[in-house]
Amino acid sequence: MSGEPVKIVGPDDGVTELWLDDGDKNALNAPMVEALERALARVGEDRDTRVVLVRGSDEIFCSGGDKQMLLDIASGKVHATDIMLTRAMIEVPVPTIAAMQGHAVGGGLVLGLACDVALVAEESRYGCSFMNMGFTPGMGTTRLLASAVGEHIAAEMMYGGQYFRGSHFAGRTQLNYVLPKAKLLRKARQIAARFAEKPRGSLELLKRSLSLPRRRAFEEARTMETMMHEISFAQPETRALIAENYESQDA
Amino acid sequence: MEKAEILEVVKNHIVDTLDDIDEDSIDPDKSMKDLGANSLDIVEIVSCSMRELKVKVPRSELSNLENITQLVDLLHKVVNEKAA
Repeated sequence: MSGEPVKIVGPDDGVTELWLDDGDKNALNAPMVEALERALARVGEDRDTRVVLVRGSDEIFCSGGDKQMLLDIASGKVHATDIMLTRAMIEVPVPTIAAMQGHAVGGGLVLGLACDVALVAEESRYGCSFMNMGFTPGMGTTRLLASAVGEHIAAEMMYGGQYFRGSHFAGRTQLNYVLPKAKLLRKARQIAARFAEKPRGSLELLKRSLSLPRRRAFEEARTMETMMHEISFAQPETRALIAENYESQDA
Repeated sequence: MEKAEILEVVKNHIVDTLDDIDEDSIDPDKSMKDLGANSLDIVEIVSCSMRELKVKVPRSELSNLENITQLVDLLHKVVNEKAA
């Protein structure tokens, strides 16, 4: 842990980079969620920011909810408030670009897909682990995933919980680019620089309009997901599956 | 079930999961990391192998393995315990 888990770099010629970097797995624990919400609010208000580029570490973009957070939700101590993070991302008033050069899992994946533009790396892995732990997907995944990868691939990912290589998505999804990891950040920055040439006022107008389907999808998802969570988190096997899933993952 | 059959299952999933590996180049005395697998590649390979073998090994028992041979030994033990 090295201080603030989200670094704000810029704005540089209109581009501000949000860098998720907790020195570990970039899990969505309380400090990470709070730091992200603060950072998103701050860049949204910054008049010199015309594009936001969101990135993680080389290895991990974001690994989703951490064990403690999920167990707290399962025991009713915490409500799935982190779901608002997806909305905060969708509502950034300027275009957002997710440079996912590392793995993105569960809530971490949907966080990237809430952005206007999404890039994934051929050799990293992307998946929805929710059902592996016995509970239904959250953070807007049930609607937002399909708009990025199509209904059928989204269904396979949500039921199956497998981690697909980025290369699996090439040519069959709505993701903007599937690139070798080493080339991804450069591409994302090129896209950002192009967007940032445009005036902030018009970018904001277009963003509001283009993000409307995602905002609507998110609200729909939230209604159903909250209901499904009340039931699925209360199932006795869910707690055990969460605990098991977070035992050491390096075989 | 023989160890050789289990090694075959694991090798198949390594080849399926890592795009750029051919079966003959897999040395069981090396780790999957040596083959270029990242952490989630390994999760996929192990979970697919366990699914095919119809066994479940807790993550905690998998975490200390050093190479493919040790994984095969562990799976062999669990498969045969289940059959017994």
